[in-house]
Formats: sequence, C-alpha cells, structure tokens
Amino acid sequence: MTFYEREIHRVGRIIYANRSQIDTVIRTRKYLDRNYEANVNLNLLARTHAVSKFHLLRLFKKYYGLTPTKYATDKRIAMSKQHLENGMSVTQTCFAVGFESLGSFSTLFKRKTGKTPFEYQKEQLSRSF
Amino acid sequence: MRVTVISIPVLDQEKALQFYTQKLGFIKKRDIPLDGGNRWLTLVSKDAQDGPELLLEPAPLHFEPSKVYQDELMKAGIPHTQFDVDDVQKEHDRLVELGVEFSVKPTAMGTVKVAVLNDTCGNNIQLVEEL
Repeated sequence: MTFYEREIHRVGRIIYANRSQIDTVIRTRKYLDRNYEANVNLNLLARTHAVSKFHLLRLFKKYYGLTPTKYATDKRIAMSKQHLENGMSVTQTCFAVGFESLGSFSTLFKRKTGKTPFEYQKEQLSRSF
Repeated sequence: MRVTVISIPVLDQEKALQFYTQKLGFIKKRDIPLDGGNRWLTLVSKDAQDGPELLLEPAPLHFEPSKVYQDELMKAGIPHTQFDVDDVQKEHDRLVELGVEFSVKPTAMGTVKVAVLNDTCGNNIQLVEEL
C-alpha cells in the first residue's frame, strides 16, 4: 500500500466518520440532480431527513463545499449549456432548466459563463460546421 | 483572468500523447513545435472541448528539480492531479482491460469514490466520482 493510500484511509476515517450525515447529504445531492429545474425546497428536504433546514444546509456545505442552492444553480447552468448546444431555443432552455424569466436566466448565464445564452449558442453552433 | 492550461510533467511527450488520447480518451488540441524536439502539446476533454487544456510538459527532462519532485510523488503514490468521471468503477474496469495499472483500486470514502492510476510517463493520476 502506498503512502498516499494509507493517508486517504486515515484522513477518510476522520472526516467521514459520521455515516448518517454522509447518507443524508448524498441523498440530498441525488435529489438535487433529479430536481434541479424545480425550486429547491430545503424545508421539504430537511423534513424528509428529519433534520432542520439550517442543519441540512450546513451539512451539505460541510461535505460538498457549497450550498444546495448554489449546487442546483450550477447544475441548471450546465444543463442549459447542453440544451443550447443541442439547438434548443434560448427561451425553451430557460424554462426547461427552471428559470421563470428570460432576464434572470440571461443575467445569471452571463455571470457564470462570460457570455449571454444567445452568444453561447451562436458560438457553439457555428463551431459544428 | 481565466484558467486555460493545467500542466502535467511527462518524461516522454509522444508516449504521453498516446496514453492520454488512446487510453484516457482526451483529444489533442494544440501541437506546436518548439526547439530541441520539444512541443507545446495540449489536450482537452472529449465532452468539454472549450474547457481547460492539459499541457503535457517535458519539464522533468530539462529541469532536475522537476524530475526529483515527480519521482518522489510517484514513489509515495501521490497523484499529480485528478480527473472527474461519472463512474470510477466502470472507468477503472475499462482501463484495466486496456492494460492500465492502478495503485489504488476504486475506494468509496464519504462523499467521493477515488482510484489512482499510473500514466506511464512518471505520474499518478486520481479519478474521482462525487457520490
């Protein structure tokens, strides 16, 4: 066994000691992966796991390094890029990934990717020729 | 500022190119001849061809401390860098079929599953799946 393998087991035993917390956050992440287009309902999620909303939020951030809301937003942007690359219109994409207005979608998309959804799609589609 | 290039020191650029494209599945993006047979050689992920480029850099051949550092990381089994995959076990099985050697078999730890492979060019590379 290498030094590295011994170390990951040692550190893993310390930081991943609480199995029930791990199961909770893994289930939360899977839920977000399936429901990223809906508004993240932390209250509902927390009730399902019998923890408080704030505790769930803290746990998620502790293990994944970002909040559930931020995680779901990143997922929405990643999915919208895929839709745009596949030729879906910007308006359709906006609603498909769960935004309620084109304005908020475009603003967020630009902040995250440096381009508007229109610019991004134009660039991607011209690339495929 | 933007992240565009991430460098990996390799002992043999051509061998590394073959390994990273044929086994790991990256795609060659830039190949610019430099002096002394060296190349500015970069790769991208197949499904993120606009993403950051991996630079296969012949540093260990030309700068002794780089070689020393690379050798010590290799001996300790420490990965030089890591790549995300959807399914570590599946990727491990696929690569083992292709003759790739792993020093750490797929291991679940908390919210991640990891495995560590030998890139045959002086480095350990970690594969990671978020659980």
